[in-house]
Amino acid sequence: MENNSLVTIERKIEKIIYQAALALDENNWADWFKLCDDSFFYSITSFSPEIGKDMTYFSGDKKELTGLMDMLPKHNTDHSPLRRHTSVYTIDISEDGKTAEAVSSVVIYQNLLDGINSHLDSGESRLFVVGKYHDKFLINDSLPKFVNRETKIDNRRLDKGSHWPL
Amino acid sequence: MDFIENNSDAQTNSDQSNISDKVAAKALDKGFIEEQSRIFKNTWIPVCHESELPDPYDFRTSSIGNENVIICRAPDGKVNALLNVCPHRGMLIERRPQGSFLEGQASGNPKRITCMFHAWQFDMRGNCVYVAREKEGYQDRFCKDDAGLRRLRCEVNYGGFVWVNMNDQPAIFLEEWAGAAFSAIESQICSAPLEVVHYHKEVVDTGYQQLMSQDFGSIAGDANAANLDYGHIVTRHGEVENNDPSQTSSFPSPESGQSTSVRLFPGFAFHLDGPTLNVATITPLNDSQVMIEHRGLAPKADSEEERKLRSKHYNAKFGPFRLQKMPEPNESVSGKVEENGLFIHYNNEWLRWMDQHPNGETRISEFPSSHSKTQGLSENGELSGPHIVVIGASHAGVAFVDKVRKNGFGGRLTVFDRQVGGPMERPPLSKAFLLGGGETVESKSLLRQKKWYKTNKIKLKTQSNVEAIDTKKKTITVSSGAVINYDNLVIASGAIPRELPDTHGMGNAFTLRQPSDANAIRQAANNSDTVVIIGGGYIGLEVAASLRKKGMAVTVIEAAKRILARVASEPLADRLTTLHEDNGVQVLTGVGVDSINAEDGIFDSVTLTSGQKIVGDMLITGIGVFPDSKLAAEAGIETQRKDGGAILVDETMKTSEEDVFAVGDVALRRDQSLAIESVHNAQETAAVAAAAVTGSIAPTLQTPWFWSDQYDVKLQIVGVVPVSDDDVYQVARTGKRDGAVSFWSYRGKELVAVEVVNDPATYMEARQCLDTGQSPDPEQISSLSFSPIDSGGARS
Repeated sequence: MENNSLVTIERKIEKIIYQAALALDENNWADWFKLCDDSFFYSITSFSPEIGKDMTYFSGDKKELTGLMDMLPKHNTDHSPLRRHTSVYTIDISEDGKTAEAVSSVVIYQNLLDGINSHLDSGESRLFVVGKYHDKFLINDSLPKFVNRETKIDNRRLDKGSHWPL
Repeated sequence: MDFIENNSDAQTNSDQSNISDKVAAKALDKGFIEEQSRIFKNTWIPVCHESELPDPYDFRTSSIGNENVIICRAPDGKVNALLNVCPHRGMLIERRPQGSFLEGQASGNPKRITCMFHAWQFDMRGNCVYVAREKEGYQDRFCKDDAGLRRLRCEVNYGGFVWVNMNDQPAIFLEEWAGAAFSAIESQICSAPLEVVHYHKEVVDTGYQQLMSQDFGSIAGDANAANLDYGHIVTRHGEVENNDPSQTSSFPSPESGQSTSVRLFPGFAFHLDGPTLNVATITPLNDSQVMIEHRGLAPKADSEEERKLRSKHYNAKFGPFRLQKMPEPNESVSGKVEENGLFIHYNNEWLRWMDQHPNGETRISEFPSSHSKTQGLSENGELSGPHIVVIGASHAGVAFVDKVRKNGFGGRLTVFDRQVGGPMERPPLSKAFLLGGGETVESKSLLRQKKWYKTNKIKLKTQSNVEAIDTKKKTITVSSGAVINYDNLVIASGAIPRELPDTHGMGNAFTLRQPSDANAIRQAANNSDTVVIIGGGYIGLEVAASLRKKGMAVTVIEAAKRILARVASEPLADRLTTLHEDNGVQVLTGVGVDSINAEDGIFDSVTLTSGQKIVGDMLITGIGVFPDSKLAAEAGIETQRKDGGAILVDETMKTSEEDVFAVGDVALRRDQSLAIESVHNAQETAAVAAAAVTGSIAPTLQTPWFWSDQYDVKLQIVGVVPVSDDDVYQVARTGKRDGAVSFWSYRGKELVAVEVVNDPATYMEARQCLDTGQSPDPEQISSLSFSPIDSGGARS
């Protein structure tokens, strides 16, 4: 690929990662799914030094994720918004320009709304989760779409509000 | 245990600050502290699973009742739980959640637990194996054998879980406590080796009882719930009714549709749900916060597909990102609890442990050790209760009363000793003590200062000879005529030096065992120029070195072909012979004593079987000892021979008589043929007996060790050299320092003992090898570049 094209696709991949962060911050699942290919697969993983093993905390394809989002209103939930700070570190585009991989850092803050005493707690922001996004993309007509996201978190202590896609 | 849904009721806490800080920041409620003390420090806690420390030297850390605990796997594969606190200054030792001691750390040697504060080192059984500057800093006042990490009751059971009880004398054995509850799932969780594949934790802002109340709400009204003893609850659901593991639909089959939950008081739940096993354990942080740890387990033999299937199921049911269904509007948690009484069942058990049950039911009486320190006090502050009498304030006798108190014994302890003055360190008597100029025993040589006996409420009766034992009436009679009752009797009467008949009553002829002997030798030596020593054993050689240092002319006579013929290897004996001769001692071996001559009742000379006459101002006989078992034999306690010999004991140091134990030099285990007279043997046998008397954990037995100082040579021996075994050979290894050498004794390729001269670092390595069952290659051990520790040879 020519350098100009590479730069353009890299910019598009950066943009789609940040668009995903904004959509997830707003719980706008529909907009997030629009950025994903039909074959999209999502997982949350972690390495536990306590047991010395890689673990998968959550995984699902687009259909399962859609079902999850539809179920959310029927379940108890913490309403504290999550805010993602994402920085794209690396983007590697395949030689044929049809696929790409990216690694980004992600730090998620929780802005408290619910609480034991929301009178006191609401409005406070706390560090919630730290980790990295390992994303894979399909590129059709210079348009990248997510086909895989592994959210590899450092946390093994996970309290309330943690079941939304991070 | 779905104690509380992790996203429900807004009862959980999202503050991800450090948990330890949370505990520290919140002033601990008095009731909370009492709960920790009464319940959590006395019940069995599943601290982790054995798969979290799969290999030798692996460890996992945890905490119980705010006490730091470390779980280690020893070289023999056994899992041990230890207090993760250095006995030196109380520092937390290991800070990582999990890891291995196989490789060295920045501040620690391989295969050692090392405190980064002052580098004290411990093995995987908690034995202290190295104290920096031990001899220089503590002299003989301290022995690292007394400084091990506290070992905790630890068992691996019920699917490979590691259960720890902080109480050395648990109120209830694990199997009695949990066996009935686990019978519901034991066949399933024990049918295949499991491993932990999921781990996460959460902190919830609620007291643990409230948490449990909400958990019981989730199963309230369940007809399948069964209340069991000790506050446990079991619930069953699903396809399989009889829990037959042969049916493919029960765990660990991936197709299992069974659901059984075992909830153990005070808050540990084992959920067998379809193809998954979730184990949730609580750790209360304070009166309003609880940490819950979730572990997901699966068979080690799972295929990749099976593991994926289980993982999916587990995450949906127990994972941190699971969805929880909102309760129906009419599902009142508290109402349900009241209806089915589960929480009442649980709470009744809580009341028993807290000694608040309305019917007076209690668990308290079942763990006396945590209360014995005060329960045994009478109104005037004197101890009452069971009485342990110890005969002999030897190393073993004093070590016994020390250990038995440390094990929590709260009754009376009385030690009778026929000697004058407080019990003394014996090893210095043949060494530095003889060089002193004073005429009395220095207080620094006392085994324990007077204050120690007072502090530990131990009655020490010196100049009190025990004259009879009545094992039927359980009494002893002392020289004053007093008859004393005992509940347990411990005989630590030690040994008596052998005397040659000719020397009986002879002036300036001595043996050496007691401080009074050493005093007499020291005074005589101050007015003498020449000494003849009969016996080339350790005592004789140490005395020879000490008196030679005083400038006396010394002759050592040994009937065997070489010195130390019974206890040391030939290469070492040769080296020591040269050492003594170089220092001007005349060493005569292979020659017997024909007669011992006196003039006017005062020693004059020794005539040898060769006809040679050795003249001297004083005579010291060091030809061994015999057990002081006369009292025991007269009482009908079994000894080696009808007319004496060592008192025979079992592996707990119990004699043929119930409630009578023997420790130290006077005792010999029935399964052993050789008595080892040493400080190590005294301390170890005392610790074993103390554990038996108090029902505590028996100490880990160490490889025997011994030391000797002669001139400027420090000799350290670990293991017992089988001198009469022709198959045993020695390999010499020269040390880094001038004069440093060690002799490694092998039988075939198996290391059996190591004798070390002036090389403490090699001694530590040798001891580590023998303690951990390693046999370094005998063909390489002579090379200084070869490290015996990392060589990996295993002893058979």
